[in-house]
Amino acid sequence: MRRSSGKTAFCFPGQLQERPRLDENPLLTADLQFKECLSRVSGRTKFDLLRFSVEKEREDPDLSLRLQISTYLLSMIYFHRARAAGWTPDIFVEHSMGIYAALAAAEAVTFEEGLFITESIGKLLEREGRLHRGGMASIIGLPLEEVEKICRDLEGYQLVIANYNGSMQYVLSGEEEGIKNAISLALSRKAVSARELPFKTALHSPALSSLREEIMDLLRDVEVRSPKVPIINHWTVRPLGKEEIKDFLSQEIGRPVYWIRCVERLLQEGITRFVEIGHETTLTKLIRWVNRDVEAFSAGNGSYGKG
Amino acid sequence: MVEPKDHLIEKIKELIIQRLKLADMTPEMIETDGPLFGEGLGLDSIDALELVLGLEKEFGTIIPDAEVGKKVFQSVRTIAHYVLEQQKAA
Repeated sequence: MRRSSGKTAFCFPGQLQERPRLDENPLLTADLQFKECLSRVSGRTKFDLLRFSVEKEREDPDLSLRLQISTYLLSMIYFHRARAAGWTPDIFVEHSMGIYAALAAAEAVTFEEGLFITESIGKLLEREGRLHRGGMASIIGLPLEEVEKICRDLEGYQLVIANYNGSMQYVLSGEEEGIKNAISLALSRKAVSARELPFKTALHSPALSSLREEIMDLLRDVEVRSPKVPIINHWTVRPLGKEEIKDFLSQEIGRPVYWIRCVERLLQEGITRFVEIGHETTLTKLIRWVNRDVEAFSAGNGSYGKG
Repeated sequence: MVEPKDHLIEKIKELIIQRLKLADMTPEMIETDGPLFGEGLGLDSIDALELVLGLEKEFGTIIPDAEVGKKVFQSVRTIAHYVLEQQKAA
């Protein structure tokens, strides 16, 4: 990676879609930041990132939770690597559960508290998924009106738009059977792609609003500080205030992610460079969709998408 | 089946690089018969949408649905064949 002038946004992605193949990246696993992060994790969670990354694909009831913890740890590793390489962020933006790493990177919570929040909320979501089987689907290539129509046409399955990722990229959330039907309907209506995401919970849908009190309870002993780097709130597109953070965390799993809004606001604010602080390139590609000329790349794949 | 000419293959590789902003890649680095998705070039569904729009803009080629897209986006050569078929049918 390299430095140049202009304003930089660090973008913290939501949950990985598949297990990260770290064995294919010896430069990363040999990195000091990587080793230090894993040593801080040791003893705090039973989760083993390295073992998870090389496990054979199998039916795994805890997959979503493991992917979420992996996402958190990898974002923190890439954040420290980016900082060590001399990158200075002007603002943070996050997608979905990327908020946990964004808060830790901004020192609003400690690394350990961020891990605790990630794992605790992940377990709540798992429990919810066992009680009320839900799911999510990515729909690519249909405009908003078509996606809204699919939700209306499948009334009764509680389908909602969970992520507004781009003018033709949306994520639906709702009951498992409804998600499967929505995929068939989207494909029959000429979507470029419609596929299930690895969630067994209707994340970012009102069905999860009932977890609000429980999340507030588990955050009770976490002392939140003012973020050292502003984190944009994707509902208001203004920086999250210290006093809003717990409430945001307790509500965000029951409300949609407005990613497009954030990117558009940041472009208006004069951001010239977006660095995805994660292992994949999903946000980089979504930024490319909103603006093809702005510099955007992933710390996990530094060569990607330069403007 | 008419074999696509080299310049069409080259043009499609350039379109992939330009459309997907693969800044560090050159056409020579993309295998004509190599898979584009998954283990191959590593493209995903967001890239597929970019390619659908890019092909329409550059060649007037329409990918009507995901089923056709799956067949067409197997490799650069299958894209080139589809572009030729569409041009012939026009």
